[in-house]
Amino acid sequence: MLQRLPAALVAAGLGLAALAPAAFAQNITGNAAAGKEKASMCIGCHGIVGYRTAYPEVYPVPKIGGQQDQYIIDALKEYKSHARWHPSMQAIAGSLSDQDMADLAAYFSQEKK
Amino acid sequence: MSAAIRIAMALALGMALSQAALAGGDAQAGKAKAAQVCAACHSADGTKPTAPQYPVLAGQYDEYLVRALKDYKSGKRKNPIMQGFAATLSQQDIENVAAWFSSQSGRLYTPHESEIR
Repeated sequence: MLQRLPAALVAAGLGLAALAPAAFAQNITGNAAAGKEKASMCIGCHGIVGYRTAYPEVYPVPKIGGQQDQYIIDALKEYKSHARWHPSMQAIAGSLSDQDMADLAAYFSQEKK
Repeated sequence: MSAAIRIAMALALGMALSQAALAGGDAQAGKAKAAQVCAACHSADGTKPTAPQYPVLAGQYDEYLVRALKDYKSGKRKNPIMQGFAATLSQQDIENVAAWFSSQSGRLYTPHESEIR
């Protein structure tokens, strides 16, 4: 038992280390007021009713006001990792930290006044 | 009327018709399809998704929804769940469900500083 204990502790330690990044990511809380300060880069396209992407293909940029918080975060992460493709959004999301994404999601997911 | 003008008018008419075809989904057919395929996660009218990671679809732009579903179907946009569902939809189904959800009113809006608290 005593001989097995260190191995068990190492295994537990590895398990905690593997869980830590996920746990940390979940602890990030979005702040809508902070998001408002970061939203200027979004409003140029997403703040214009019916605005259409000019490049590379022409279709309306989605309405993001009132969208679900976690969906916005996931979309930004997918653009940042290039799992989702769009040159402008990949470039913009690439400049955002996890905290920035959470703040922007908190801001845009608010109900319309 | 010169031939050139007639050709230009015919082209303009053709473009107008193809634009109409782009938005040519049948919302009622889309409602029926959505009830089978989309509603379990996105809700029947797209207003109340069942989990925070699923987007609100009600009131989203028709063409954006068509684009998203086509990209899921082709695999250009990668999401294992959506790729599976989009694969079951025909081009007409895609236009129909997009017509259905885009015509529902929901909480989506175009954010403008003056409209956000």
